[in-house]
Amino acid sequence: MAMSRLGQRPTEVIKRSVTLHFRWNGRSFSGFEGDTVASALAASGQQVFSRSLKYHRPRGILTADYWDPNLMVQVGDDPNVRAGHRLLEEGMDVRAQNVWPSLRFDLKAANSLVGRFLSAGFYYKTFMRPRWLWPSYERVLSAFGPGGRVDIDSPDRYHDKRYTHPDVVVAGAGPAGIEAALAASKAGARVLLVEHEHSVGGHLRYSTRAAEQVALGKLRGTLEASDVEVLTDSTVTGRYEDNWLGIVQRNHPIAVERLIKARAKMLVVAPGLIERPYVFEGNDRPGVITSAAARRLINLWGVKPGERAVVFSANDEGDAAADLRDAGVDVAAVIDGRKGHRINSTRGSRRAVEGVVADGVRIDADLLVVAAGWTAPTSLLNMAGDRPAYDRYAARFFPSNPPDSVLATGGLSGDGTLDELRTHGAATGRLAAARALSVAHRIQARTARARAVGGPEPDWAADDRLPLRRDFHPELFRSDTHGMIDFSEDVGSKDLLAAAREGYDSVELAKRYTTATMGSSQGKLETVNTVAVLAEARGENIGEVGTTVWRPPYAPVSLGALAGRVFEPVRVSPIQPWHEANGVRTILAGQWVRPDHYGDPAAEVRNARSNVGIIDVTPLGKLDLRGPDIPKLLNLLYTNKWSNLAVGKVRYGMMCGEDGVVLDDGVTGRLGEDHYMMTTTSSGAGVVWEWVENWLQTERPDWRVHVTPVTSAYASINVAGPKSRRLVGRVVRDVDLSPEGFAYMEVRSATVAGVAGCFMWRIGFTGDLSYELHVPAGHGMHVWEALIEAGADLGVGPFGMEGQRIMRLEKGHFIVGQDTDGLTMAPSTGLSRLIRLDKENFVGRPELGWSGSRRLPMIVAIQPDHPQTVPDEGCQIVRGDTNEILGRITSSRMSPTLRRSICLGQVEPELAIGGSRVTVLLASGDRIGATVMGHHAHFDPAGERLRG
Amino acid sequence: MADALRFESPVTRSHPAGESGGLTLTDSSATVKWLVRAFDEGPAAACLQTPFGSSRQDPSGALVLGSRPGEWILLGAQDAVARVVESLQGFGSGDFVTAVEWTHGRAMFRVSGRHAPRALEKVCSLDWSDPMTPDGAVTSASVAKVICDIARDDCRGTLSYLVLCDRSFGQYVFDALIDAGREFGLTVVPAGLSFSDTQDTVG
Amino acid sequence: MLLVPCPNCGPRNSADLRYGGESHARPDPATASPHEWRAYLYLRHNPAGWLRETWYCRSGCRRWFALERNTATNEFRDPPLPGDKRGGAA
Repeated sequence: MAMSRLGQRPTEVIKRSVTLHFRWNGRSFSGFEGDTVASALAASGQQVFSRSLKYHRPRGILTADYWDPNLMVQVGDDPNVRAGHRLLEEGMDVRAQNVWPSLRFDLKAANSLVGRFLSAGFYYKTFMRPRWLWPSYERVLSAFGPGGRVDIDSPDRYHDKRYTHPDVVVAGAGPAGIEAALAASKAGARVLLVEHEHSVGGHLRYSTRAAEQVALGKLRGTLEASDVEVLTDSTVTGRYEDNWLGIVQRNHPIAVERLIKARAKMLVVAPGLIERPYVFEGNDRPGVITSAAARRLINLWGVKPGERAVVFSANDEGDAAADLRDAGVDVAAVIDGRKGHRINSTRGSRRAVEGVVADGVRIDADLLVVAAGWTAPTSLLNMAGDRPAYDRYAARFFPSNPPDSVLATGGLSGDGTLDELRTHGAATGRLAAARALSVAHRIQARTARARAVGGPEPDWAADDRLPLRRDFHPELFRSDTHGMIDFSEDVGSKDLLAAAREGYDSVELAKRYTTATMGSSQGKLETVNTVAVLAEARGENIGEVGTTVWRPPYAPVSLGALAGRVFEPVRVSPIQPWHEANGVRTILAGQWVRPDHYGDPAAEVRNARSNVGIIDVTPLGKLDLRGPDIPKLLNLLYTNKWSNLAVGKVRYGMMCGEDGVVLDDGVTGRLGEDHYMMTTTSSGAGVVWEWVENWLQTERPDWRVHVTPVTSAYASINVAGPKSRRLVGRVVRDVDLSPEGFAYMEVRSATVAGVAGCFMWRIGFTGDLSYELHVPAGHGMHVWEALIEAGADLGVGPFGMEGQRIMRLEKGHFIVGQDTDGLTMAPSTGLSRLIRLDKENFVGRPELGWSGSRRLPMIVAIQPDHPQTVPDEGCQIVRGDTNEILGRITSSRMSPTLRRSICLGQVEPELAIGGSRVTVLLASGDRIGATVMGHHAHFDPAGERLRG
Repeated sequence: MADALRFESPVTRSHPAGESGGLTLTDSSATVKWLVRAFDEGPAAACLQTPFGSSRQDPSGALVLGSRPGEWILLGAQDAVARVVESLQGFGSGDFVTAVEWTHGRAMFRVSGRHAPRALEKVCSLDWSDPMTPDGAVTSASVAKVICDIARDDCRGTLSYLVLCDRSFGQYVFDALIDAGREFGLTVVPAGLSFSDTQDTVG
Repeated sequence: MLLVPCPNCGPRNSADLRYGGESHARPDPATASPHEWRAYLYLRHNPAGWLRETWYCRSGCRRWFALERNTATNEFRDPPLPGDKRGGAA
């Protein structure tokens, strides 16, 4: 018999004046505003909401709330929506998930596979052999998955993020949680109250007792008038170190979900209790519901859950008989679990209960309402390090010893009248506020920017709360028959006993072997029953078996909430708008968006080699150094000598780590007496800066050097090519640019295109005559455009990273991180003249001193025999026809200048001699011959162009 | 010719946005900025009277931020800032003072209005409550994953925060602040206003 | 996320800092044997308990400093007063 809508209820949350239309598996339905998807469907007579994961049994409402494992549906393109929680909206397209008939098997193996699904540990047994069937298994498994369909064409939706620092977070807005929040707020604490459900009140929301309704009304009123920040439809999903809390807010107006990262000084855990299903034959047949589900359906949404009910009850709170009678349900029998009476089984079709067997007697009924006991959702306490203990007398777990910054209240901590629970809640709130005050004082006193606090830190408030009592409750987990334990994973009590027989009788092993407690309810409904059945198998009690560790999340978190608003910073040079207006193809280098090329990198190279090219090299790392002890610092950080660098001169240097491995390289110029500019690789700028600071702060605090990162303070433009002197001469008037007046490896201050405060140096990464201009960034675009305009008749053109990489490879300059790796020691670069072991001390010196006795690979230039073959970077260099590795290609390009393929590579030292023959193993598997060159530079090895 | 040069702000893309009066974002990148370094507790520090974590309006008009132990950021009109820098000379070997002009190296934005703390907490993990970050507080922290110097600098009773970041991240951080402020009906004042202009637009 | 008590900035999220690892003295590079030097480079005590370690407050004060942390409980000992910030080189 189906459910139906009742007349108006005093406690209902639906607005009957607003009808909402929606579709369920393609058919039209309607409900009211305030309905959940499930309550609207139930009111319309829908009994079956899903099919179970493995056995594919029809499933109906079980708990009618967020945790209901049987109500997972697809809404539009949103899979795994909890129909027991999600509010109905106009026009929703709701579909069932995991619907068997749509699952097609094109495998002959399918039937036998299905049979093997029925046993415990099937994940481990079924798909192991034969291996060649794996692709088919994967297809079958993905089709079996209980989830809905993900539509990868769905538009992105906004997921928001926020940080907050409340004094007290209260998780759970039942009567105790509300009182805790109010008391803490009254004591001066900033309080965030987080409620999983759509409104506050906990179990009072669906209580028909007049006194409880009055109490709820008053609590809500007081809460609204208070300073407490209340989040409903939000879940504290995890508690991490130092009360770092993850909170998912599902009802924020501007976002699908908002992830709140809260740093709470105190956490109050008040989630209430969750009603536990009872295990017996047919306990998953539609028509078997928990007592709380019955009361929610009747009192919140005016849904009549059946016509003729059997009520099984083991506690007063769970006795729904009065509510059922009030709703016009015929209560055929009340079976009292406290008096030893038992439910044995249900009878009926696969789709509906038709009868209940209790104490061996069949009673005709279409509804069985079960109140077998409570589960304490201690998850947040467990995440805080507590190990809750089982109490046989009360038949549930209680907090043991949570850390001082975490307090529990409400049903989680004990039993009592509503007043007693509220009193405990208020006392907990006061204690939380007092302790938060101590923490706030400590933080404020230690934080430089904070307002000064007077006086000593307030004493840590002692826990003087009167503990709640514990009421007796019978231990009811499994009847004398077998039934379902984990509804979402389709694991029954027989499966658990089988797992125990096979040796998986520890709770952590049984969990993984059977997957019990691993489904969408996160163990809230099934953990205790799982433990109870294992205890039965082991002949022990629940306390001895222990529970699985509850880890985050408290409730499943959507990937959108976690991944939604990811910050991915990007850096751009001041000249970027010009690049974009001129057909640039960008490349992301670290965080920098850089010009890769402007359409034809080879043409850019030819132009820079024959006329003049300009490249935006703003990302080049630049550290402004000031102070009298800079030469000492440079001598320490670089492998070569720096004591005698004159003002106006520039020198190249290589930096190593303490292990002698190349860390970075670049040039440093002396701009003034106590003023130097150090450059680093673009990618190494941040690392080198922190490294320099570390040396200055921890090992050489007496040295007077100040380091300032000025990478983006200057727009850096490299002007390269035979006509570069003429071009620079047109924009720089105050520097003698003659080869004698401004020689290779020199630096000058300059006014460029009217911009004062620039400096420029003659260096040559491309191998041609070139000037690197560094201009204040706020005028970078102006200077770039001035160069383009002034050099029109010289054929000036921009080139990008690709052109520069080609030209530096022609010139044989290695790139740290490309041609070197995490094991490349300085001598491998071939720049042994820059490693001055005669210097008294520098970083890396010990290892470099000892490296003479080691066989280090060497960086060499390599040219393939066939000039049109460009081996991929990373190709191995092998010995002849063998697979013995002798090195690898680290850089390779087709050179537009030489019209042939050119490479840099690392090879065994014996091969690092000009003329050595090597074999390169291509990605295709072909082997090609190549020759090691006598010099790194494929182009202009004598450096005549550079120094001209 | 130098006089004719326009300061090019790192913010080059404009953003139309609503107007609520509750939140304003201003690009003040053109403001003159200097970075001063000296001993934590030396004569220059005594002269600047601005310990780490605090800020002070100098009689010259410059705003002095105690941005790190032994480090200060000076903001304001060119001559005002220059006057403060000049006052830090002549300590001999009793201190080690350097000053670097940083106008071009840092983007600077002002986030103002009663919703400013709520907007900032969407992109930064610090506590913006009054006891933890009172008017005059200076700190640095990650804003949308970019490390920024942040100074609370209320204008005529209106909550206001200066956010300084590496210039190359300027557009990105500006966009992130717009995204954070959208739900509060953000007003955007686009580009390159000077420090004094900024003060006038708030309130 | 761990709160790290920066001696300058106060408690900050560990993501605001860079972890420099165990603090240990740097041997004199002029006299260290290869064995001693490599122990400095590669060997760590990794105790379950109190450990002196180096942190860099990269988002905040940009200072390197040493702190004592109990690796079993993540409890920090009160940080040293300002002026005592020496840690080992990373």
